[in-house]
Amino acid sequence: MVLFQLKQKLNYGEIFSGVTLRVKLIGGGQYEGLYNEVIPWWEENTGGKIEIVTQKNHFELDKEIKKDIASGNLDFCVASNHTSFASQYGNIYTDLNNIMPASVLADYTPLILEHSTVDGRLVQMPRHSDVSNLYYQKSLYEDADNKANFKAKYGYDLTPPETWDQVKDQAIFFSNPPDFYGTQYVGKEEAIAGRFYELVIANGGALFDEDYRPIFNSPAGVEALQWFIDLYNAKAVPDGVLNYLWDDTGLGFASGTIAMNLDWAGWAGFFNDPENSKVAGDIGLVRAPMGSGGLRTGWSGSHSFSMTESCPDKEAAASFLWALTSNKAQMIEARGGLSPTRPAIWDAIIAEKKAEGDEFMLMVFETFKMSLAEDAFTPPLIPEWIEFTNALYPELQAAILGDKSPEDALATASKKATEIMEDAGYF
Amino acid sequence: MRKFLNGPWVLLMPTLIILTCVVLLPLLLSLWTSFTPFKLTKPDTLYRFVGFRNYERLIGDFDFWIAFGRTVLFLAIALNLELVFGLGIALLINKITYGQRTLRTLMMFPMMFSPILVGFQWKYIFNDNIGLMNNFLREFGVIQPIPWLVDGILANISIMAAEIWSSTSVFAILLLAGLLGIPKDPIEAAKVDGCNSWQVFKNITLPFLMPFVFIAMTIRSLDVARAYDIVQMMTGGGPAKRTELLWTLISRTGYVDAKMGMANAMSYISIFLSIAFTFFFFYKLVEARQRLSYE
Repeated sequence: MVLFQLKQKLNYGEIFSGVTLRVKLIGGGQYEGLYNEVIPWWEENTGGKIEIVTQKNHFELDKEIKKDIASGNLDFCVASNHTSFASQYGNIYTDLNNIMPASVLADYTPLILEHSTVDGRLVQMPRHSDVSNLYYQKSLYEDADNKANFKAKYGYDLTPPETWDQVKDQAIFFSNPPDFYGTQYVGKEEAIAGRFYELVIANGGALFDEDYRPIFNSPAGVEALQWFIDLYNAKAVPDGVLNYLWDDTGLGFASGTIAMNLDWAGWAGFFNDPENSKVAGDIGLVRAPMGSGGLRTGWSGSHSFSMTESCPDKEAAASFLWALTSNKAQMIEARGGLSPTRPAIWDAIIAEKKAEGDEFMLMVFETFKMSLAEDAFTPPLIPEWIEFTNALYPELQAAILGDKSPEDALATASKKATEIMEDAGYF
Repeated sequence: MRKFLNGPWVLLMPTLIILTCVVLLPLLLSLWTSFTPFKLTKPDTLYRFVGFRNYERLIGDFDFWIAFGRTVLFLAIALNLELVFGLGIALLINKITYGQRTLRTLMMFPMMFSPILVGFQWKYIFNDNIGLMNNFLREFGVIQPIPWLVDGILANISIMAAEIWSSTSVFAILLLAGLLGIPKDPIEAAKVDGCNSWQVFKNITLPFLMPFVFIAMTIRSLDVARAYDIVQMMTGGGPAKRTELLWTLISRTGYVDAKMGMANAMSYISIFLSIAFTFFFFYKLVEARQRLSYE
């Protein structure tokens, strides 16, 4: 009930006077604005104090928390989390079903709360969701020469792509290496494994069967991998793409040297800011295209916050979790382009952008809202996900670089994945 | 008992206790974990003994042995090139009569950078799109960008360049110390007898320097694992494991996959590599000193 107290007594202060919460947070430009506003707000209204123990990127934070679990040194109360990572951490985080009133949980999108649940325990309060859609340079599609030449070469009109095959055609068409590339992709670690995963799904395949036996070495899997290979061989993506992660692709599109870029909503404001981006004012956005199975890609997840089971001040931690994911907090992040996890904030931000006449951000929010509602799907929410992606991605890279055939690469990855799942006791 | 309390053991006891706590116990614990399926996220697995299962898997793990072989090659090439460049720098600085102190300080600059920064810096230099190297080459008509960090051979050379840049000064400092300690008489006598510069270097300077060379080699062979940060920043061991070294493989297995039992088994196998390098360099050090005393 503390949350109701917080909401009602927010202006009365001092309900957590003398309490200091130790927290471990994801750091980085797009994440820290929230802390700068919400932490002072929470401290001022409750009398509590927040001590940030750690603030680093999510992969480093993940390593740190694993070390904390091994050493039994869980001396913090709140930590950043992610739906793709949460199942790794066992039972170190509290079941929030027992702490947060149902009326509070009702403010969040039910499907996202479901994704925030591990083994029936709600271990995360969702902060914002991510799914990717396709940004493109509008002027390329408005150019009369481009339209005529493309139609002559490929036999269909040059319009923003609806399928991943069209993305491939258009990327090859637009490319003029080394000055300009049709597209790019994140090329290593979980990033490329996730991109491969969503394309397998869009092609009508799957990574695992019901018993978690790998089944991605299939026609849908080979077709997905071949898409990456074809773009690489055609030099429609930069040569160094296999070392790219999210910052590289985002900054690449903003540099004006990339025609199309599949990316999350968090970059939208940056892309359209003339101070940071050479494509500002020239950006179109469409929902992620479809694979051969008629489904759109929609690898999705949510950043979140969790409370440790060992936290000595669970009431204060619960109120801080609420504050971090409250209407106020989500509105702050939504104004930066991030996708909220509360339906009310979607309505509010769209209304705000309409009132401001900000057509670009309106398009961004409407596209991502539809995408999250209709296309989004999570990776398998199992503790082995990251380990599995570490087994998969070097094989994808080997096929892209031509060291192996797609079939050989997927066969090797499948064998390693089988070993991981066997060790984990799935079969 | 009284004899024991009055004996040297009492004086040694603080050292022994500290060494046991700081070195021996962690070593024994990590050795134990290598016989377990210990996962960081499942602390209970620390108590499940699985015998040599991790080691048996590693023996048949092709990727591990490729990374092992690549690490040996990396160590051999990087250390020898660092020695050659370090020796060259030390000889040149030793010849300078004015501004030697300033140059010595400048020479140590690369050592002052953290390996993570070095990795970032060289990743930028070798970036295929916006990197300094490709832009520099473009000025000379090389239009097609070279994928420095993607091509198997070029990526390893790029990482080695960063490592050599970062650590050559260690060799240079140690060898310069050796050069400053060489007695002048034999060199002057050789010159009086008509030896040319190469003969003086080969027959007098180098034999005097060899103990320093092997000390430097031993120190660097143990210290070179700090190149992990450089590799992690530049390529992360990829793409397609083309730059995978034991350090990146062990780190990913232990901290990302959380399979610390397996990672420690890898570490214990790789310790043999360190012991082999150390043993070899100590053997050569003793040999060089003996040769020096005979002469």
